[in-house]
Amino acid sequence: MAVAPPEKILKELADLWVTEGKQEAGVAAHGVLRACTMTLIAITEDREDPADLGETIAALMPEHPARTIVIRLTGAGERSIAQRVFAQCWMPFGQRRQICCEQVEITCSDASLGDVPSVVLPLEVPDLPVFLWCRSPRLLAMPEFPALAAMAHRVVVDSGALADAPAALRRLADEAAGGMVLGDLAWTRLTRWRQTLAQVFEDPRHAARLTGSARVTVCDLGAVTTRALYMGTWVAGALHAAGVTTTVHVRTRAQETSVELECGGFHARLERQDDHLASTADGLSQLTLLPKPTDYLLLREELGIVHRDPVFSSTLESAARFSFVTD
Amino acid sequence: MPPENPFQDPLRFERRVPPCAVVIFGANGDLTKRKLLPALYRLAYDRRLAPGFAIVGTSRTPLTDDQFREKMKEAVAAFSEDTKLDEDLWKTFAEGLHYVAGDIGDAALYQRIGEKLAHLDQSHQTGGNVLFYLSTQPSQYALAAKGIGAAGLQHGSGWRRLVVEKPFGHDLASARELSDRLHEVFDESAIFRIDHYLGKETVQNILAFRFGNGIFEPLWNRRYINHIEITAAESIGVEGRGAYYQEAGALADMIQNHLLQVMATIAMEPCASFRATSVRDERSKLLRSMKPMTADEIRQNSVAGQYGAARIGGEDIPGFRQEPGVNPASTTDTYAAVTLCVENWRWAGVPFYVRTGKRLPKRVTEIAIHFNQAPLAIFDGELADGTPNLLIVRIQPEEGISLKFLSKRPGAGMKLRPVSMDFNYGSSFGERSPSAYETLLLDALLDDATLYTRQDMVEASWAVVEPIQNVWREESIDFPNYAAGTWGPDAADAMLARRGHTWRKP
Repeated sequence: MAVAPPEKILKELADLWVTEGKQEAGVAAHGVLRACTMTLIAITEDREDPADLGETIAALMPEHPARTIVIRLTGAGERSIAQRVFAQCWMPFGQRRQICCEQVEITCSDASLGDVPSVVLPLEVPDLPVFLWCRSPRLLAMPEFPALAAMAHRVVVDSGALADAPAALRRLADEAAGGMVLGDLAWTRLTRWRQTLAQVFEDPRHAARLTGSARVTVCDLGAVTTRALYMGTWVAGALHAAGVTTTVHVRTRAQETSVELECGGFHARLERQDDHLASTADGLSQLTLLPKPTDYLLLREELGIVHRDPVFSSTLESAARFSFVTD
Repeated sequence: MPPENPFQDPLRFERRVPPCAVVIFGANGDLTKRKLLPALYRLAYDRRLAPGFAIVGTSRTPLTDDQFREKMKEAVAAFSEDTKLDEDLWKTFAEGLHYVAGDIGDAALYQRIGEKLAHLDQSHQTGGNVLFYLSTQPSQYALAAKGIGAAGLQHGSGWRRLVVEKPFGHDLASARELSDRLHEVFDESAIFRIDHYLGKETVQNILAFRFGNGIFEPLWNRRYINHIEITAAESIGVEGRGAYYQEAGALADMIQNHLLQVMATIAMEPCASFRATSVRDERSKLLRSMKPMTADEIRQNSVAGQYGAARIGGEDIPGFRQEPGVNPASTTDTYAAVTLCVENWRWAGVPFYVRTGKRLPKRVTEIAIHFNQAPLAIFDGELADGTPNLLIVRIQPEEGISLKFLSKRPGAGMKLRPVSMDFNYGSSFGERSPSAYETLLLDALLDDATLYTRQDMVEASWAVVEPIQNVWREESIDFPNYAAGTWGPDAADAMLARRGHTWRKP
């Protein structure tokens, strides 16, 4: 099976708009609105439920309207590559006009992965950012990965899906050092935690107590995760910048997810409690919403960042060589 | 200098409120229930508030803290349009809700508020930071400020700020008088005069559109723009606010504040930075550049209207004078249209037509920028020489920007037709937009006055509007002069026709 030439795919996309426009004109006079702010390339395993990915992409479109190119990997087998083109449309609540975004789906075997860039590059929307969302952990180790990553301005991975957290961080740090602009959903999952901890130190009286040495304890479920290592490194890095020496303890627990910071008699603790994040600092507690971090919520945040994320980059670099106390 | 927070990540973290307390005067009123509490709860929902954030409500009605919390919970449940009430989150939020009953003219009230704030500083670690919000009758603003001052509450271990709702006076003298009273207690930098129009996402988007793009600003002047229309139309009547409205009128209620601020945003010079002082200086300069009109000019360039009864969609709609609480002989304007001129190099000779009214055919607020026609008509056909480009900035509903231009019709021959290129703000970005009160409250708590009105702007606006009010009072206008459900009096059409223009029907 061979993929159609890019001109044919682009022609199919153009025809799609004409068809959508005509269909819509038959129903109401308000037409179809075409919106596009980026190209989103999602690489996923063919065995994954397409409905899951489809729902995530559909949810992202209102905020990040994009030409989406989904590459489905069929695994081992003969060289094969095929594509189809379709549109995703929705009617925003209270609006009269339908919004549509175009989607190209490419299915290919591992043996044809090397052909993908030549098909995808001409399909990227000119002048707009290109994001590559790598949902397949095994792809990171494949020789074709650098060429695929080079198609995008920013590559989003999920180190949480990789075995051996310290090794995963070293691998990602190497890619970043080589110039790849990376995002990691394991890091994105920490934003609300980090923001809540930062909020504690918006009070200058609390910030003033960050002196001398500190102890940070990160508890996560099951095994040592990249998420826990990121958190410990980020806190230690921030404290280091404030002149505080820090020891980081990473613990695995069956049920508890928490972060604890002790410094000069000051004590702050964050803990997940079902769908909430409970924080306690200096005897004052607060409860904020902490919904389950779905792919949609995580991607929604990552797609808002086009360039290198300096805080993440420095944390990744440090986390790859940081020494933790684990138990 | 206080130590910096080492845990910042501005790329990902939202702006968040430092530890503080908000004191709401008029806490049992409609504005508190419909706007302020839902906005503050939403800020808590979005994790914008500091742990220990506290609200002290005050009004004459005797209530316990628990009764106040229950009332506010009902208000948040009823008036938060797109925020669900999370019971656990509400419980934490409600722990910060407190109530002090008392008369706004009674010095003892302020003593009790002071004691409550001191207690909250200890128990909630508010750092002595307090935002006073006057959500009362305008006649009580000066009284409340005086009470705060007499009790010494304008000073403390943290910052103290005051938020005031419009109207800021009913003419230039009363605006100055109010300002003087407020300045006896608070410095101008601590006074936040709220104009909720400026908090609307799309009004802020005007700044992004003009100053974030390089292609529009070169066209933004008298050389390319022929005239500008600003319309704020409401399809509803006075909706039970007849008694208040007949004291104000459309000119004072809408044009003096909201629409002149919108006009200043659309016409101001580029500012050097997006800092409060810089942006507000340019808005203020624009307002001060508006040409004051003589009585004769006012008669030529302004139209007052009042709606009369009509039948709309099979329903009998009463005229303004038949509305409950309205004097049957009221001469209040429910419609106002004014031609304004800006005396600077950019806008000299470009008329700004500003209109607002109640009981117009639809609810719409928009700015229509009419460009000059192409200098030479080279195409044949009916539209070839008579359809100038039009840029529409829609503020509500369906916020967005449309550009109208001519395009060739498909087929043989060179026939042109107008087409519209639309950017729809709400649907291009599906993300929920914060309400104007969320934006403005957050700004005030963060000491960002960019979207707030300053006293010199208030005075400049009154300097334009007051002479019009005075002439209208002297004239004997035959009200009602437009039927409910129409686009206003014929005189408004005649006003534009004198310059060869017509109103758009949005």
